[in-house]
Order: sequence, then C-alpha cells, then structure tokens
Amino acid sequence: MSLEKTVTDVVGTDRVSTSDLERIAYSHDLAPIPRNITGLFNNLPDIIVKPQSLEEAAGVMKLANRLRVPVTPRGSATWGYGGAVPTMGGILLDLRGLNKIVSFDEAKGLLTVQCGAVWKDILDFLEKTGWELPVYPSSAPSSTVGGFAATGGLGYGSLEYGSLVENVASATIILPTGEKTVIDPNSGWVTPPQLFGSEGTLCVFGELTLRLVPRRPSAAPFLAYFHQLSNAVEVANDLVRRTRPFSLILRAFGFVRARERALLSPEDAESGAIIFGYYAGMPDQVEESLSSFARRVADGGGILRPREEAEFEWSERFYPLRIKKLGPTVLTSDVLVPSNRLIEMVQHAWQLGCEASMDVEIENIWVSPDQVLFFPLFLSDERRTLRYLSHSAITKKLIDRAITMGGRSYGYGVWNSFHFTASEPTRRKEFAKLKTLLDPNDVLNPGKTLTAKTRFGLSLPKVLYAGFLETLWRLGEWF
Amino acid sequence: MSSALLSKLQREDVFACAQCGYCVKWCPIYDRSGWESTSPRGKVFLLKKMLENSGPNLFTSNTRIITEFVQRLFDCTTCGRCGEKCHLELDLLDLWVRLRELSVRQGLAPESVGLMEKTLFGPKNIFGMDSQSQRDWATYTGAEIKVQDQAEILYFVGCVTSYSGRSQGVAQAITAILNHVGENWSLMGEEWCCGHPLAVSGATEGYREIAEHNVRAIENMHAKTVVSGCPGCCLAFREEYPRVLGRKPNFEVIHFAQLLDRYITQGKIRIPKLDAIATYHDPCELARLGGVVDEPRRVLGSFVGNLIEPEESGRFGRCCGAGGLLKATNSAMSGELAEKRLTMLNSTGAQVVVSACPSCDQNLGEASSRFPNSKRVQDLAELVAQQMGLM
Repeated sequence: MSLEKTVTDVVGTDRVSTSDLERIAYSHDLAPIPRNITGLFNNLPDIIVKPQSLEEAAGVMKLANRLRVPVTPRGSATWGYGGAVPTMGGILLDLRGLNKIVSFDEAKGLLTVQCGAVWKDILDFLEKTGWELPVYPSSAPSSTVGGFAATGGLGYGSLEYGSLVENVASATIILPTGEKTVIDPNSGWVTPPQLFGSEGTLCVFGELTLRLVPRRPSAAPFLAYFHQLSNAVEVANDLVRRTRPFSLILRAFGFVRARERALLSPEDAESGAIIFGYYAGMPDQVEESLSSFARRVADGGGILRPREEAEFEWSERFYPLRIKKLGPTVLTSDVLVPSNRLIEMVQHAWQLGCEASMDVEIENIWVSPDQVLFFPLFLSDERRTLRYLSHSAITKKLIDRAITMGGRSYGYGVWNSFHFTASEPTRRKEFAKLKTLLDPNDVLNPGKTLTAKTRFGLSLPKVLYAGFLETLWRLGEWF
Repeated sequence: MSSALLSKLQREDVFACAQCGYCVKWCPIYDRSGWESTSPRGKVFLLKKMLENSGPNLFTSNTRIITEFVQRLFDCTTCGRCGEKCHLELDLLDLWVRLRELSVRQGLAPESVGLMEKTLFGPKNIFGMDSQSQRDWATYTGAEIKVQDQAEILYFVGCVTSYSGRSQGVAQAITAILNHVGENWSLMGEEWCCGHPLAVSGATEGYREIAEHNVRAIENMHAKTVVSGCPGCCLAFREEYPRVLGRKPNFEVIHFAQLLDRYITQGKIRIPKLDAIATYHDPCELARLGGVVDEPRRVLGSFVGNLIEPEESGRFGRCCGAGGLLKATNSAMSGELAEKRLTMLNSTGAQVVVSACPSCDQNLGEASSRFPNSKRVQDLAELVAQQMGLM
C-alpha cells in the first residue's frame, strides 16, 4: 500500500497532498538556502499531512514510526535554521490546523491552547480578560505555540518572566513512537526543560497549558535615541537592573537607518542606536520607572523621545525584518551573549559586515539582566549565489565569537548543529541520550540539531563545514 | 513570454519577501483551504523558485506545476488584505494582477476569463446583453432618469447594477435620491463597462479603448463629479484610468456612500429612524482599496437605531468572495467565502445586513438564501431610499 493511501486512512483524503506544487511550497522556511548546497538535502517532502486533532497527529506519527518514514513537524516556519524543513523528504506534518483555544480557567489564569494557535490571536483573546501572556515571540503575528515551544521560547517578556518553559503548567506531547502523553514540572521520567527547545526532534508539542500573569493596571512604552552605541549599551544594562522592564530592546544601526532616511524624525536618522521597551505595573511603579528611565537617558547622553513615538516603536516590535527591503536578503544568526560583553559583540558584527561589505542592523533583546538575545540582520543578495554563500560564513563566525564570550547559539537546526557541542556540551550529551531513548528509529525530524545529515544518510563533518565556510569567506571579495 | 510585465521592483520584492507568514492567516482563500500554496506567502515563494529556475521567462512551459500555479493566481479575490498585513509593505495585489496578465498573454488563464473578455468587447458589458437594453432597469423599476448633454453630476450605473435584477433597485434608489435633492445629474449617453473586470483578470489588452471612451464622454458632458454605487467602477475611474491613459480625468469620482454623507452633513436629506439592529459589511474595493470606511458608517449611524460592528471590518474587512472574478473562475469557492462572511455578519445579531457594493450584495444575498432564517442583505442606497419613502 502506498504511503499516501496509508496516511489517508488516518486523516482522510482532503488533508493529504502529494502535489508537486504543494511539496515545493513546503520545502523552505525563512532562510533562503544557497542553491549550491540544496542538492545535499532533500527538502521536498514526499507528502504533506494536515491533522485536525491530536489523535490524528499521533496516528500519523505512529504510522511513520512503523514504516520508518521521516516526519517533519511544522508550524508557521518562522524560524530560519531548517527545523521545519525536511532534509530527507518523508512526511511533513502541517500543524496549523490545530489552532484552538481548548480551555480558559479565568479564576486560576490557566490557558490551554493547541500547538497551531498563533500567538497574536492569543494576545487578542486575552485583551478582553484580566490576564496577560508573560512571554511571546517577536514573530507573534504568525508564529505558533508549538513552534515557539520547540525553538527556545525566549522573546518579549522574558526579561521579567523568563522563558516560555518557565511559564507552562503542563504540555501534551506526541512522542516519536506516536504515544500521546502529558508532561509537567513534576513528571518523573522527562521534564519540560528537557523537551522545550528540542527543535521538533524529540517530540511534537500538541497542547500547552500556559500560566498567565494578572493584567497590570498601568503600562507605558519608552524610547530614547543615542548617538554613541557604548552609551546606549551602558544605559540599557543599568536600566534592566534598576527598573526591570517587561521588555527592553536595543537596536544598533550600521548605515541602514541613514540610507533608509529618518523613520520618525531627523534625530532618528542620526542615531547610532535606540533603546525602546515597555513597563507594566501599578501606576506609581510605572511612573517611577519612566522617571528613572528619563534621568538615566539624560545622564547617559541620550535623547528621550515623546510618548507617541515610543508607542509607535513598541507597536513596530513585531516587524524587525522591515529592512529586508534594502537587501533583498538578510543573513542572521541569533546568539545569546552575556550582557556585559554586548558592546564587543556588536563591534565584532560591524567589523565582519565591513569586511564583507554587508550593511547590518542589530536587534538586541534582553532576556535576563545578564543575557541578551543578539539578532543581527546582515543585508545580502541570494541571487548572487557565490557571494551569498561566502556571506553565509558570517553566521559561523558570530557563533564562534559568542561561544568564546560565554554565550551560545540560540538554536541549532540544520545549519548550526555543528556548534551544539561547543555551545552546550553537557546538554548535548543528555539530548543525544534522550534522542536514542525516545526516537529509536530516528524518524522525528532526523538529521538535525545533533548533526546535519544529508539526503545520502551521511552527516556532514564539522571540519569540512568549517573549512568550507572559512575558505569561502576568504574568497568572498572575488565573488 | 518574459516576465517584463513584472516591474524591476516587483522582481526585487519577490526576493525581499521575508516569508514571515504575517499575510497567511488573513487570506480568505488560505483560511478556507489551509494549504500553503494557496497563501500569499506560498505563492510568492513559488514565484521566486520560478524566477530562479527560468530566469526572466515565466510561464513559458505548460507543465502541471505552472497550470496549478496559474489556478492559484485565479483562486484569489484580489481583496488586497495580504498587502495590508505585509511585514515589508509589498504591493502584493499589484503583483497578483500582473501575474494574471502574464498568464492571460500565455493563454494559460481559465476559460471564463477569455469568455468574459470576448463578451465585454461585443456589447460593452460583462453580461453580453444587448447594449440597447442598458437602461431597461429604469423601465423595470419605474425610476425617473435623466440623460442630458451636460450635467454637474454623472451617475455611472455599472454592469452589475444595470443588468442584474437583484441589483437594479440600487440604481432606482440612487436616481430617486438625486432627484429628491434636486441635483443637475445625468446618465451617460452610451455607458460602457468600466473595464475593472478586465483589469483584475489580467485581460488588459483592450482596456485603454474602454477608458478612453468613458472618460471622453464624461468630459464632453462637463461633469464635475462622477458618482457610482459600485466600488469597482470607482476604482477603475480613480486608480486604473489614470494609469492606462497617463493622465487624471477632469472630474472627481466618488462612491454614492460619500455623496450621501455629504448630503447629511449639508442637511440636504433627512432619513427617518430605522428601529432595527443592523450591521455593515465593508466591500474590499471600497474600504481597503478605496479608503472609504467612515462615510457609510456615518450615514448608517445617522438613522439606524443599533449599528453593530462585525468582526474583521473596516480597512481589514473580510472579503465576501465576490471579487477578483472568483465568481466566474470558481463559483463554488466564492459561495463558500460568502457563507463564511455571512456567518460572521449574522453573529452580530443584526436583522439587516448592509453593504455598498452590488457584487457583495449579490454574493451575500445568494449565501443568505441558502441559510435557514436568512437575514436581509441590503444596499446602503436602497435602505436609505426606502427609509425616506422614495421607493
């Protein structure tokens, strides 16, 4: 019996597709893969399946495990490291149909949602209630609950409330064998921190019960410009300790903003960096925080911007990729760096950008007082294939530097899997053990995170990857 | 055929698209199917792959993938909501229309497009009706019409309102109100289809001839204002004719909802109160693409006892499925979209569903007739004229 027929028996005909057009449409995520290396991987799924219930998703997983067919779970594919893209064909599990709010316990502030629910829809749903989300991703208008759980869970709100896993009461997961089970912080055999951030390789997240936080009576955004990047970083680091905002973001500009002209005002065009974010709390607390912010900005040589500009910048927090219009491609590599080394990291990124003639804008989100999610956007052009391939070496260089600073890659997927050992040696060992235990047939998102496995079943050796990229980088000026 | 029809900027945009997916859930077609290839993001990605593989030559081979892709292009209501939600503010609507144009030139467009084009260039209306019968609506409805050599206001009726029985009441209502106010108005001596169906379908070859005829005829009448009850006709005059002709016509173009709003402000009409719960459906071509959001609400708010805003309304309003020629290329899909929209409108508890577009009125009205306990779907002009006792 064909794979299509077997899967159809589980979910029905209208939710299965083997159309060539559809297979191409599902063969990518945010990041364009340089054409020269696409041949190494089979990004085309053989079949796309859209389950409408957890039972159906579990049924497909069980079937795939029995038939030893790779399964790639996919939400909105807003991550750029290949986690939602097949590398060996197989079944692509489009989970966006599982998008319901299952239950809302208004007394306890517990919200149970399916994995395909979009974060912005949850934010909108909660708007009419007395509760708020403690943390949500910067791609909230499209990214899904399951996707955020699978890819690290750091975002807006992490500065105040930590990562997603710290705000989850329990999760219903589907194991690679197709077994459905519930995990919570007291689970004996496996705990949420072991599975959150496992990039769709250890389990499929089915439902999450989120612990909400009571809506605060007062809230206000803030914004300041700085001509000197070093002043902006110093002020930001000071503010996260003194005032503890819900979120604080520092955006450092290369030449991008000058090229793009002033977004808001002439001062904006000249600024080397901006700090913006959001305070929430009791009215007097928020007022006190805003006053502290104003004083610290003035002391640090910054320019405080009016409330309406702060509101605009905060409303723009979901649109960091707007500069892509100047690319048309952006190369990025999110890394976590210690906040006291941020200035070095930004300077390093700027130097790399200069070497490769790439303009860069850098988004930095504080996820704790000591740690920053560093998100550079290098402008490149994927149509100039060799040059783009050479440019892509910049991601390796950034991760290498972050590791020497005591930081790490935020995620691994296909492209950063080579950095897992150097970034988190202990976690990688535990991760590898769990993979063997939970997925003995290696069917769930195989060939990622722990290794970058090609369509031929062989893992790319790190030495080859590193040597290849370094050589390309050096040859870059010739392309 | 090369992709020269796509501007350099559009070819850049295809690569600039962030693939963030912010557009996806707002697309009514994706919402119905759930397949990535039907979403705006999916279509841009597929186009990018085609540009990568075939260079500037698009749609040169008639492979199954190309055929399916062209079908996706026409399974679209051209509602433009994808562009509104775009992370990079790309003009996606223009991209879809240019791609339709390419597929028409390559002979890959659905048959119904060619049929519509052929029909339109005969008697100059989309229904292929005898052009002599263009004003029969006045006879059927008993409307008092005016046809003059010169007039201040030109009432452009449009094909759907002229020829479709369900919509002829809109023309009756508009003429009755114009007469009630005492305007110096007129119909055109020979009104041709505005050509908007050609523009959205991509069958643009003879569009200039249509635009020239309509503009010249109206300018010869020295009309200062063209008013229409059809948002598609308004878009043609306001947005498409200047592009095709390379100049702006010498008259302003407004939708009848805007004129009603002016009449109320100027105290020219008084509308007796309607003791009912009503809700308003924004036609995409009037609200999102035409920027007319507040005026119909002000008009309704002036006389409706309880006006309830439905979800997904205003500039981000949800399409009823009537646009983009979808009714001709995939009527079943168009009907399903209408049912979905009507369900949203009905959930407001309204007794009357109001819109301001003959195509929306029709599509929602047809969907309503398939619902038990169906609600009245009325055009704004009709509702106003009825309340004023003019029809």
